[in-house]
Amino acid sequence: MNELLPLLVAIPLVGAVASITLGSWSDRLAWPVTFLTMLVHVGLATAVASTVYRGGTPLATAVGGFTPPFGIELVVDGLNAAILVLVSAVAVGVLVYARRAGPHSVAFHTGYLLLVAGLSGMTITGDMFNLYVFLEITGLAAYALVATGDDGRAAVGALKYLLVGTVGASLFLIGIGYAFVATGTLNMADLAEKLATADPTLVGASFALVVTGLAVKTALFPLHTWQPEAYASAPDSVSGLIAALVSTVSAYALARVTFSVYTVDFLTSSAFAQEFLLGLAGISIVAGSLLAVMQTEIKRMLAYSSVSQFGLVVAGVAIANEAAVTGSLIHLVGHAVMKGGLFLAAGALAVVAGARTVEDYDGLGARAPLLSAAFAVLSLSMVGIPPAVGFVGKWYIALGAIQAESWPIAVVILVSTLLTLAYFLRLVERMYFRTSSDDVTSSTGTGATAVADGGDDTDDGLTRPSAGMVAVVVVAALLAVGLGPLVSTFEPLLEPTLETLLQL
Amino acid sequence: MSHDESTDGESSIRTQPRNSVFRTEDQTPYVESTIIMTTVRVVAPFILTLGLFVMFHGADSAGGGFQGGTIAGTVVLLLAFAFGIEPVRDWLNADRLLGLVAVGLLTFLGIGFGAMLFGGAFLQYNAYPYSHASKYGIELVELGIGATVAGIITGLFFLLAAGFETDEPMEDEQ
Repeated sequence: MNELLPLLVAIPLVGAVASITLGSWSDRLAWPVTFLTMLVHVGLATAVASTVYRGGTPLATAVGGFTPPFGIELVVDGLNAAILVLVSAVAVGVLVYARRAGPHSVAFHTGYLLLVAGLSGMTITGDMFNLYVFLEITGLAAYALVATGDDGRAAVGALKYLLVGTVGASLFLIGIGYAFVATGTLNMADLAEKLATADPTLVGASFALVVTGLAVKTALFPLHTWQPEAYASAPDSVSGLIAALVSTVSAYALARVTFSVYTVDFLTSSAFAQEFLLGLAGISIVAGSLLAVMQTEIKRMLAYSSVSQFGLVVAGVAIANEAAVTGSLIHLVGHAVMKGGLFLAAGALAVVAGARTVEDYDGLGARAPLLSAAFAVLSLSMVGIPPAVGFVGKWYIALGAIQAESWPIAVVILVSTLLTLAYFLRLVERMYFRTSSDDVTSSTGTGATAVADGGDDTDDGLTRPSAGMVAVVVVAALLAVGLGPLVSTFEPLLEPTLETLLQL
Repeated sequence: MSHDESTDGESSIRTQPRNSVFRTEDQTPYVESTIIMTTVRVVAPFILTLGLFVMFHGADSAGGGFQGGTIAGTVVLLLAFAFGIEPVRDWLNADRLLGLVAVGLLTFLGIGFGAMLFGGAFLQYNAYPYSHASKYGIELVELGIGATVAGIITGLFFLLAAGFETDEPMEDEQ
């Protein structure tokens, strides 16, 4: 199984070449080629993950036989095996949705596979510079995907994303540079050993720059400015994919770098390291929720909600005890399923009723019962109603905060839950307990057209969501509920990994 | 890689612009200059050679596919400046550029997967039963990268030169 790890990146690349060459021959071939590639990818990712969890030991391989620390190492352990399967599975789901919802261009499908290649690479790499390279591949593919929306707004959103994202990646690169100056190595495991005895000033500067760079990519407040516009202006399929995966993998990279490169010892012993992370996370949780409450456009509201949820994940990483890190991983996976599902549901509801703003959701429960139910279930799961996965993740993080006696974070988590309730419950209330103030026909004519001009290209040619689109949203809702109870069986599988990472 | 397709689409439109959105020729018309054409004709082969030289130095000294590919790509830019963007675009159509990009990427992937056929890991050069397999393997990969980079640079140039078309009128034209 070890020698197959590079294929997790190589297979999407092969697919990308195939989709653009076959796609230039006939447009219709792009989707089947992409889908086939993703099926192979999901099979390989699942096989790798099941080997890791069954064996209890990490898989590692040196690319091309060049031995680490000089060669590039790929490592899959309990932490990233889950992320790997998540990336692959969500990509398949969104692709099924995109079959009818679009975009249908060849460029979209090629970009899609390049994004999957970048995300898989970021997930499995064990080398700092390689992480930067894949971060850039992911970023470039994501900018291009946002720009596949065929109006000016998507182009502006993508440009903003490009500018801010590049600054973030550059900060990350400078941070790696400091670590390299201090140690002369780039391999993560090797760095962890050598950083412990290196000049603390260099290590501290390196940590600050790397964390800030990844915080830009994760979109933590106040570094989130690219994110709402990119999510809101992209086509719905792209919003779903990016919201579910890109920030998630960046947050995973933040956790990986914190534990496997700088180590928990550094985090707890050096001045301000843990405080820096905790402060960033705490501000992000509160500010993201407050901004989400203030939004009127659905996709922007969901985007700001992500700012807050990733604050939670990073808080778990910063607390760095067993419960909190377990919670972070669960919430990473859970949030990806829920937020991806919510964006896709919002896109499908926009097809049904042109609903793009909070006010448009009046009485939707009667007009699109299944989609509305799925949206409501996903919303409530995001708020953290048991037994959904959103509850379990938050619960573990809060438990970790209490065990570590960091009361401010515990309070912040509670407050954020209330705010999350506020912005999601108003939607559920509008969908089920109000009737549409105007008729079916005129409801698109009031507030919606102004927004619809900006954001959607699902409307062209589609009058109602296809069965595939609805099915993907419903599966996401079922997963959000079903994954919660499964966590208790997953937790023991994670234990050996956490013992190594947290040096218990 | 979105540009290849769009360059293809726009090249047909450009011969007879439907509206005045295409600005390159409206604003700065191409002027035939003997000095520039002669200079480019003399210099271009040397630049292409330098590009290849840099590409071939990927394995054992400073150099590589990214730098070399960029240098090779600039040759097309120079030709376009000297002989006009339109003729160069027609000569080097979108399919050929796409082919260049695809061949470059496939070279890299082929070397990678080929090693697996010989019983090695992905991209394990020394699995190939040739002497100096690592060196030649890296050279080939660098050439592949060079082809991809040159294709992308050229494609982006043509895409930018084509301008873009929107349904909405631009601010400066009424």
